[in-house]
Amino acid sequence: MRIGDFRASYQHDEALWPTRVQRTWLALLALALAAFPFGANGYLVGLACLVGIHCIAAAGLNIMTGYTGLISLGHAAFMGVGCYTAAWFAQRGWPFFLTLPLAGLMAAAIGLVVGLPSLRIKGLYLAVATLATQFLLVYVFREWDSVTGGVRGVNVPNASVLGFDLSNDHRMYYLIVPVAALMLVGARNLFRTRVGRAFIAIRDKDISAEVLGIDLLRYKLAAFALGSFYAGVAGALLGYFYRAMTPEYFTLQLSIFYLAAIIVGGLGSMLGTILGAIFMTLVPELLRGFVALIAEWAPGATEVLSPVQQVVFGLLIMGFLVFEPHGLLEIWRRVRRLFHLWPFRA
Amino acid sequence: MNTAAFDWIALAEYSAIGLLSGGLLALIALGFVLIYKGTGVINFAMGEFMMLGAYFFYTANVLWGLPMWLALALTLAAVAAVAALIERALLRPLSGQPVISVLMATIGLASALHGGVEALWSGRNYEMPTLLSRKPFTPGEILIPGQVVWSFVLAAVVIVAFTLYFRFSKTGIAMRAAASDPITAYVLGIDVRRTQALTWMFAGMVGAVAGIVVASMTSLSPALGGAALGVLAVIILGGLDSIAGAIVAGLVVGLVESLTAGYLGGKVRDIVPYAIVLVILLIRPYGLFGTRQIERL
Amino acid sequence: MRAQDDRSDLSRRSVLGAGLGAAAASALPLHAALAQTGELVVGAAPPITGVFAFAGVGLHQGLGDYCEWRNQAKGGVAGRKLRYIGEDSGYKMDQAMAVFKKIMGAHKPPVFYGDSTAWAKAAAKEVSQLGSTITCSPSFSSDLADPKNVPYYFMAGPTYTAMGEILLEYINRTSRGASKPAVAVVYSDTEFGRDPIPGIKAKAQALGIPIVQEIVTKPGAVDVSAEVSKLRRAKPDFVIFHGYVLAPIPEFIKQMREAGMTATPMGTIWSMDKTTVDAMGAAANGWMGVMPYRYSYDTKDAPTMQLIKDYAAKARPDMKYVPIFYTSGWLVGMIFSEIMERTLKAGKPLTGPNMKAALESINDWDTGGVTGLLASLKGHQIASGRIYAYNAETKLMEPASSWIKTA
Repeated sequence: MRIGDFRASYQHDEALWPTRVQRTWLALLALALAAFPFGANGYLVGLACLVGIHCIAAAGLNIMTGYTGLISLGHAAFMGVGCYTAAWFAQRGWPFFLTLPLAGLMAAAIGLVVGLPSLRIKGLYLAVATLATQFLLVYVFREWDSVTGGVRGVNVPNASVLGFDLSNDHRMYYLIVPVAALMLVGARNLFRTRVGRAFIAIRDKDISAEVLGIDLLRYKLAAFALGSFYAGVAGALLGYFYRAMTPEYFTLQLSIFYLAAIIVGGLGSMLGTILGAIFMTLVPELLRGFVALIAEWAPGATEVLSPVQQVVFGLLIMGFLVFEPHGLLEIWRRVRRLFHLWPFRA
Repeated sequence: MNTAAFDWIALAEYSAIGLLSGGLLALIALGFVLIYKGTGVINFAMGEFMMLGAYFFYTANVLWGLPMWLALALTLAAVAAVAALIERALLRPLSGQPVISVLMATIGLASALHGGVEALWSGRNYEMPTLLSRKPFTPGEILIPGQVVWSFVLAAVVIVAFTLYFRFSKTGIAMRAAASDPITAYVLGIDVRRTQALTWMFAGMVGAVAGIVVASMTSLSPALGGAALGVLAVIILGGLDSIAGAIVAGLVVGLVESLTAGYLGGKVRDIVPYAIVLVILLIRPYGLFGTRQIERL
Repeated sequence: MRAQDDRSDLSRRSVLGAGLGAAAASALPLHAALAQTGELVVGAAPPITGVFAFAGVGLHQGLGDYCEWRNQAKGGVAGRKLRYIGEDSGYKMDQAMAVFKKIMGAHKPPVFYGDSTAWAKAAAKEVSQLGSTITCSPSFSSDLADPKNVPYYFMAGPTYTAMGEILLEYINRTSRGASKPAVAVVYSDTEFGRDPIPGIKAKAQALGIPIVQEIVTKPGAVDVSAEVSKLRRAKPDFVIFHGYVLAPIPEFIKQMREAGMTATPMGTIWSMDKTTVDAMGAAANGWMGVMPYRYSYDTKDAPTMQLIKDYAAKARPDMKYVPIFYTSGWLVGMIFSEIMERTLKAGKPLTGPNMKAALESINDWDTGGVTGLLASLKGHQIASGRIYAYNAETKLMEPASSWIKTA
């Protein structure tokens, strides 16, 4: 129940976590996240690392698509750019706190180039253009042997902090989760500022935004660059996580996966991003667990697991779009609203 | 070896094969254009309609042993039914929603259909019966595989049939009316919802035919679903809502792909459609024959 | 006021509570810390679905069935039962890695079978760091047959490069005449496809054989008419296909024949299965290739092949023909068991270095006819193979040369 929640200044009103209760919960969450690897087995920690990486990438896509309305089907390719950039620098001995931003910047640069046509083309056409970019970039990954290792792929040396090698998933967790938290909070913060509001204005009706004085080209490019930056950092972390990468990873399927994550989670919200990323990562795991359970009675089930996963994926997207277009976020908010006046009123 | 003469013949051969293969591309593009014209949606699941058509036909003809004409009829009916169901259950609730929602809906549909087919029929390659004569045509020194020629003929027949239908039949005119101005069409008593369902059914059937032909030319496997993405180049070049554009662009893209495969190699051939897409979108986004969209406040 | 504030965030509290509870529950040690007793887990991530589903299903079944048979017939390995845990990788590297991490985390298997060249190379570093598992996969990439740099990987056959060299040797030997035969190479644009090409080119150059055309396609290429047209103009005498399991080889060959080409098509291991040949129909005439195993119908003087045939007939009655993938999976099971048995019998624990030593000690080992010659795994590969040719009368692949040692 929400009582005594009043704001006495604009600053307080705009705060991300205005009430003390929220801040307490946040602290508890931080503690839980920090303690998690000690209790969990290697596989779960690896999964958590992946969720972190997905959160960063999905956040980038949400900035581009959810907040600014620029549909991108090429997000996976930007991750690839970031991954290969990081790999290239890491192989030459650069430490991760330099390679990560560099990877992001490289991806942002490519994002700027790809975003240039976005003033002329919108909506479906932009989506198709990003789709074409996706395939072209993957082609570059496969062919540019000297830099990307071509079809063979690259090996990424371990990330290391002051000589301490982050050689396994437990240690990578402590790199990925803080970076993810930082970037998510940063993105959330962005939408308290002028730039963020400009993005939202562009999404709602870009012609009106231009009339109001928002420089469309500048802000659309900024959205592309920022979204790609996030994708680049996520890609770099992915490279450190797997310690090797091939171009086969950055497919259209992956781009669609991120789009699905933000749609299922909730467009235009960072909490939605997190919910979507967690949900989309867990669904295949749950399916696999379910299939393992029924393996006794249906021995052929493992062989159809992969296609069934695709079917579930497609059904989830269609289901959410038709029945709950605002995604998991809306469900979360409904549950919270239910408890606002509880127990005095359900 | 007389290089000068050799080059010309090779060029002629690649060009002929390219133009003729373009017929099939135009057919698939027709499916895309129908849906875009009728309902304003780019259907990312077109490849999956092709796949469904091919698998249904295989089941009817090979697994159940039905004669070819019956199998074809059943396949067309089945795909039309699926398309109508999709239009009703998925597209209609989403009408009026932002572009990204509808786009993602067709993408989700593509994923679900793809997985469904692979789950039911397994991912193995199947041999389709040979539908088109394979005997090669040898005009002069160049050699064109028989299937390429006959697929062109078939595609041409289907496209011409559809064009005539849209031009002259009552239902066809109703569909065109509903596509160009739904509100006026309503006022005139045309059941716009029915025409939209019909549009999807026709597009599904076109896709099914294309899928059956492609599968019989190569082999039947879930990989068929991805074949239609390359056709996006055709519709972007031709204009999303122009059937004439789809035809012309189909031939052009087929030609360019074949020449690229011949002179630059198979790997480059795969990205040629996407390079074309980018170039067109930068220079002339609405394609050769597409109608320019004017956005109003 | 504070106390009532807490109630408003009940949903958040319950979610967090559940999360903490789950984290605590997962602290239950799931790893098999059973060192000396208990089951031996054979982990695998075969590509049961995806582009190589065709091969993956056979590999999955072959390896799993071997473990079953071994438990029934010999009581497992050194008295410990084998337990096969195989999960689909979809021929996607990230999925294969996820399955690998999962099985490693839950069971810590001493042996693991991956799904592809990409996975094997990507996992090599992690496997070396873990130092607890010997790995194998359907990949015969030359980079992986490297006992020094990739210590915990072996392959149940010769490298792809060696296979290409066998083909070229055969071409060289069988063509008598003044001019050298022209060879064209058609391969898929994947790690699998590209792997032996430099070696093949080098060998061809050494033998003086001209490579007149080089065609690269997508692994599941659909339309190949332009490529066949290119091939036709190059007028090769032999066409080597590599990097495919089935499609688009049958289509290529059919179109080649229709275009009037008389070139002999040749393939490497994974395209040599009878089902690939059957798909070619009448055009299969003349198909040849190199394969390191016997076919399942070739059971003369080959007790293991007979055993495989009998077991498959009993356990999988609807499998009319045992594909080479099944044979390969079975052989891998045999090698895994041999490694573990030698290590355990020497009284040593199942660690990476010990198993590597056991692997390299396998010399002149009788596989009961699967590999023709006695197998030696010192170089982490079984360096032998044989040329087979399609016989139009029996509709089977039959030997066209004796067993050749490659390394």
